[in-house]
Amino acid sequence: MNLHPLTLFFFLFSATVLPGCGSGEDGGNSGARSEKYEIAVIPKGTSHEFWKSVHSGARKAECELPISITWMGPSKEDDRIAQIEVVDNFISKGVDGIVISPLDDTALVPVLKEAKAEGIPVVIVDSGVNWDEYASFVATDNRQGGVVAAQHLGKLLDGKGKVIMMRYFEGSASTSKREVGFLETIAEDFPEIEVVSGNQFGGATSDECYQTAENLLINHQDIDGIFCACEPTTFGMLRALQDSDLAGKVRFVGFDATDKLLDGLRAGEIDGLVLQDPFGMGELAVKRMVDHLDGKPVDKFVDTGVNVATQENVDTDEMRALWSVDFDKWLK
Amino acid sequence: MNELTASRPAIWLMIRPIAGPLLGLLLVLALFWFLEPDAFLSARNLRTVSVQTVIVGLGAIGMTFVIASGGIDLSIGSVIALSSVVAAAVAKAGYDPMLCAMAGVVTGATCGLINGLVIARLGVIPFIATLGMMGVARGVAKWLASEQKIDAPAGWLESIMSKAEEFRILGLPQAVWLTVLLAVVFGLVLRHTVLGAHTLAIGSNEDTARLCGVRVGRTKVWIYVLCGIFGGLAGVMTFGRLTVGDPTTAIGEELDVIAAVVIGGASLAGGEGRIAGSILGALLMAFLANGCNLTGVPNYVQEILIGVIIVAAVAVDRYRYHSMKM
Repeated sequence: MNLHPLTLFFFLFSATVLPGCGSGEDGGNSGARSEKYEIAVIPKGTSHEFWKSVHSGARKAECELPISITWMGPSKEDDRIAQIEVVDNFISKGVDGIVISPLDDTALVPVLKEAKAEGIPVVIVDSGVNWDEYASFVATDNRQGGVVAAQHLGKLLDGKGKVIMMRYFEGSASTSKREVGFLETIAEDFPEIEVVSGNQFGGATSDECYQTAENLLINHQDIDGIFCACEPTTFGMLRALQDSDLAGKVRFVGFDATDKLLDGLRAGEIDGLVLQDPFGMGELAVKRMVDHLDGKPVDKFVDTGVNVATQENVDTDEMRALWSVDFDKWLK
Repeated sequence: MNELTASRPAIWLMIRPIAGPLLGLLLVLALFWFLEPDAFLSARNLRTVSVQTVIVGLGAIGMTFVIASGGIDLSIGSVIALSSVVAAAVAKAGYDPMLCAMAGVVTGATCGLINGLVIARLGVIPFIATLGMMGVARGVAKWLASEQKIDAPAGWLESIMSKAEEFRILGLPQAVWLTVLLAVVFGLVLRHTVLGAHTLAIGSNEDTARLCGVRVGRTKVWIYVLCGIFGGLAGVMTFGRLTVGDPTTAIGEELDVIAAVVIGGASLAGGEGRIAGSILGALLMAFLANGCNLTGVPNYVQEILIGVIIVAAVAVDRYRYHSMKM
């Protein structure tokens, strides 16, 4: 009875094997090697651009080292149980190491403990976890991201005015650290800046964030500055600003880069984007895992840094490296 | 149907109604065993898949009754989330895990009762009634949890979902045995009790059932309460597995549960359905997801495959049904 799905499966299976490391790379994968570390890399989801950059970085590491990586997100985007199952399955398979960005700082702990107990080391990437037996934690110092944003916005406003901050969603650990960093820095360094709204949550999707942003702007017509701590909130806010004819009139600092946000930056509708280095995150996480497997000492925390892109510097080579990852080259 | 084939050997009688899902499962097992010979059929992996089947499997037991009665319950994913949040909230308040579990199950039963009453007494069709509950239960879950997850000690609820050796019975996690036990008991209930007979009668032809003296309304209420109870239990297991009550968990899970039941040979037109088939359907989907992970096949392939398998399973079932009539 299942002849059709089976046939289909083989077609798809043969089609989805990723190409080796392409064009002029050192071809670390092509040589015959007897011992190749098998490393599972588990993102929170697979369709966001951020994760594609992380994936590209991980692929770069794969190309440079005698390893093979398997990139596998939860079957349902952002679903905690589905992510636990992926980890479970890789423990079953007996991979050499697991690199993971946990969807939840608590729910993933039991299964990560289990991996450790089975002798599979864990490297955490991007988002923290309430467990400290990982080999290394490779991430943006999120609080620092908020601090940098506050300093940039404070300078733009000459240290005075009313600002709003739209938050992401309750329980999102990485963004709330940025939000806290922002609020604390504003309070300490810019006493004349008043945060008129800092407790509204945009929601998990761009769409929800857009609506929340619209509502916030209706209530706060006279604001001078805005901060949003991640891509969906920044995008939702940008759209709401454009709709209400406020774009360009309010100083707006956001987080992360997509084509739409970069266009907004170039057009002067956004005054600064705090950029992380997801490509570097993917690459470093896998490389730290390999170092750990090789028995080399590895830093417990690796900060991949934050930078502020502005209208002036966004197209410099330095910034370009952060926002423009050549997916075609790495992911085909 | 069983009487007609009474001359066949007993084992065939038992297997025949679930031959489709069984064959499908064996094919999936054979395929991944071939692709991943070391890991796929290892004890460890079988244990992993078994525990991954628990939540959908429990939901599928309740859903089989609903679908066999010609109904549908779209709210079960939200009910799972709500029950897990309630269980976590009770645990956070410092109560015993047993009380958390009961609170979760009662929550599910209450949702089921409301579904049943709206369907049976207000005459709202199941699709709409449970679509409404899908939104209500999800919303209440987020409200109760203040739109966050609830961190709480799950106590032994965590250990019954655990694969750790100290918590296993005969090599499998306790929750797996609970699921097997409930599947057997409710398989018998569906085949050999008045409730089961009435469920199938309503699904075959509601008017005829009514004329034959079946109290259709009351039976329907019980069916949805039963489905709610299983949703609640699945929610409690979700809490045990996550160790947090997450109001956004199990989004879209209702479709996994319905898919398991349909792959298992139940007809959405009602009158047919077997618990054993539904469990096999749930296992098939879990093995497929697991096998795809082990072989590194991307998730979209898995989604396409499950879609194809659902349609293929129903198509084969129709074919068998027609050839049997001839």
